Amino acid sequence: MIKKINIWYLSSLIISVVVAIPILVIFSSFFENTSEYRIILRETFLVDYIFNSLILLIGVMSLTSVIGIVCSYLISFYDFIGVNFFKWALILSFAIPAYIYSYSLSAFFENYGTAYSILKGIFGEANYNLYIPKPDGILGAIIALSFSIFGYVYVLTGLSFRYQSQNLIDLGKNLGFSKKKTFFKIILPAARPSIVAGLSLVAMETLSDFGSVSFFGVSTLTTGIYNAWITFDDLTLANRLSFYLLIFIFGLLILENISRKKAQYHSPTKDSFEIKNKIKLFGYKSAFAFIFCFFIFFISFMFPLLQMGYWTYLFPKYLFELNLINLISNTLILVFFSCCLLITFGILSNYGNRITKSKFLQSLTTFSISGYAIPGVILAIAYISFISFLDENLLQSKNYNIKSLFIGTIFGLIIVYFIRFYSLANNGIKSGYLKINYSIDESAYLLGYSKIKTFNKIHLPYLKNSIFLVIILLLIEIVKELPITLIMRPFNFDTFATIAYAYASQDLLEAAAAPAIILILISSVFILITSRFILKDQT
Amino acid sequence: MKKILIISCFLFFFPNFTFANELNIFTSRHYDSDIQLYEKFTSITGIKINIISGEDAALEKRMIEEGKDTKADLYITADAGRLGLFDKKGMFQNSISPIIKAKVPENFRSDNWTGIAKRARIIFYAKDRVSSDEIKNLRYEDLSKPNWKNRITIRQSNSIYNQSLVASLISNNGIAKTEEWVNGFVKNFARDPQDNDRGQILAVASGEADLAIANTYYYALMLSGQKGKDQQEAAKKVTPFFPNQNDRGAHMNISGAGVLKTSKNHENAIKLLEFLLTKESQEHIVNNTFEYPIVENIEPNKLIKNTSLGNNFIQDLKTPVKEYSIFQEEALKLMLKAGWK
Repeated sequence: MIKKINIWYLSSLIISVVVAIPILVIFSSFFENTSEYRIILRETFLVDYIFNSLILLIGVMSLTSVIGIVCSYLISFYDFIGVNFFKWALILSFAIPAYIYSYSLSAFFENYGTAYSILKGIFGEANYNLYIPKPDGILGAIIALSFSIFGYVYVLTGLSFRYQSQNLIDLGKNLGFSKKKTFFKIILPAARPSIVAGLSLVAMETLSDFGSVSFFGVSTLTTGIYNAWITFDDLTLANRLSFYLLIFIFGLLILENISRKKAQYHSPTKDSFEIKNKIKLFGYKSAFAFIFCFFIFFISFMFPLLQMGYWTYLFPKYLFELNLINLISNTLILVFFSCCLLITFGILSNYGNRITKSKFLQSLTTFSISGYAIPGVILAIAYISFISFLDENLLQSKNYNIKSLFIGTIFGLIIVYFIRFYSLANNGIKSGYLKINYSIDESAYLLGYSKIKTFNKIHLPYLKNSIFLVIILLLIEIVKELPITLIMRPFNFDTFATIAYAYASQDLLEAAAAPAIILILISSVFILITSRFILKDQT
Repeated sequence: MKKILIISCFLFFFPNFTFANELNIFTSRHYDSDIQLYEKFTSITGIKINIISGEDAALEKRMIEEGKDTKADLYITADAGRLGLFDKKGMFQNSISPIIKAKVPENFRSDNWTGIAKRARIIFYAKDRVSSDEIKNLRYEDLSKPNWKNRITIRQSNSIYNQSLVASLISNNGIAKTEEWVNGFVKNFARDPQDNDRGQILAVASGEADLAIANTYYYALMLSGQKGKDQQEAAKKVTPFFPNQNDRGAHMNISGAGVLKTSKNHENAIKLLEFLLTKESQEHIVNNTFEYPIVENIEPNKLIKNTSLGNNFIQDLKTPVKEYSIFQEEALKLMLKAGWK
């Protein structure tokens, strides 16, 4: 045991503890005292929160799995009009944050909204409002979330489909299975681990979503924790809700872990190959495949983009008012320093895990994924509480003031980003490491390579692609990030997301469109640069 | 060279130092027009203003957690109840200077915070579906009567404006009567509570409901054309109505501000508050946000003046807005118990 405690072990341990801060805080009593708060209503609240979270989770997971699996199945196995376009175009949905999707959805369908204007433009004056569907409440939240995050299922399932050994498909043919039977009996079960991995990411995004559910006024566990803790200082309720949220998260983690273990089973080699002979579709079948993919592409990406573009066109002054240089440099600063920190520690922790082979460390790292499933705003407040607690209880006598270093500074903001996105960086690098066989390390040691040299000369070249991919993913996430930036930022510091929020909260979505559209375009460009990469490399 | 680099890096990452002549504002108001006012203030006084804007509850939590080390000098937010609750936690200091006292009616301030602009939460109805008998002399209290069944629309109970409205009813009529009122009122909803205040007005325009309760500036925003032509037209289909004109007046609320107890620049903060109450600033606010001026004898926005939203209605000056914070919690309890989503 003592032998194991070396620098790697320690650094991995420290990272895990830092990332676990929010969960520890939510569960401990850094909270203020509870006021005399509505005991009568607590029970009904609790049931509502859990029920809504469940419905939301089930709704989003069902919708994303249908969209994601059908799209990637069509694109991986068939050749139809536009298939090469949809292959990458469907990933563009990652550029749309769920909150911007919610704004678009509500603005389009509301009374006298965009849908009404379109109908009026075509058919003339009449009261169309009563015939326009209103995706409100939990339905609106399910739609907004599903279309902005189905990409996880689409990408991961697609990879699995494309890398599936041709043998499996041939096997189906040889057994005389119909296409349908081959799909359900062979292809789908073989892709299950990837689907589960995609869905667990979807589930965590759903649980941590605060923007869309609060926009649509749905009370979920996360809005419940927020209200109980931040608005009402109700420690008991906040703790109880956190407990339920944790049960959800751990259930998902276990699911994800199981799927990951299986994934290793299924694709032991990296030298898989693209399916060589895609089935060519003709006539109505081709049309159907095209229409389905186009529909999803349109709804997930073009719809919010057009809605934002329409407003920017109607009210261009908001675009000209943006201080682009300032906003872009702020964004780049955040991206640059967060990436440096996250990549460095991601590598450190993975490398540490690799050489120590400690089970304990590995489970600690798994635990750190929770940062991804806790809403950003709760995470940020938990961090602030933790720093205050440290400052007031441990450091008071020593005359340090760590608060002004760690709260309301770019440094503090980046630390919370670190907690939030660590699992993304860590898992991205881990997937790169999984491809490097342990025997390579051993051969290197036999050749007299030091650990550092092994890392520099052997690991790093292998990891280059994964690191690049992680940087792009982080960039997209940080450009979109809203709640943490909003509460942790220093004075006079704005990003595209915070400007969009500011206008949206004045009920001027028209003005929010300009920053939103730039945010979407920046993310889209980076997705396009890496789309080939995302589709081919990551497993 | 190296030292300069290190120091500039340090300043960049931890730009959290206070300089002599400045003022740090935490605000949940995001109006561009507010920022223009701050810039004007800086050009007159030389006091540099730093801003963090965000969601009210989260901002409050941050200031509370930062405690004595918070850099915030002034907190600006909407809703008197919210200001009152924040004050109850001991976060504000007495910041009511003689000038503020003279300009802001007593009803719209407490010892520790003051209103800077007003808004009324009133009725919007469809003239073709609500008879003149029904609307005549209408009071908030009447909206629980069975003749309004399935006709009213209002946003969710978690809206702080609704909590303040019900709190003002408790303050005037007592808990038992208000409970009875809320129970009847909720039965009259035309649809499940959803959307913001503008959504309520639009629901009346589209025929989903006959009567909505909403804040006045949402209506003015639609009339201004900033929400597009169709919504401008929709607004014209709806008529604003000020309730309780024969007794205490229409329910009023404020945008307001208080100086933090721990403020290191409290004189600057008071200077800004006084600046916000000057004639020019008040006109600037009402012309851009469509709120009502808090200082008397200031003309409201032309758009408001030219409609029936104008200044000549009876405002509830009997219920001090600081009472909202006393009854908000009780109000929410009644609303939830009545099934107000």
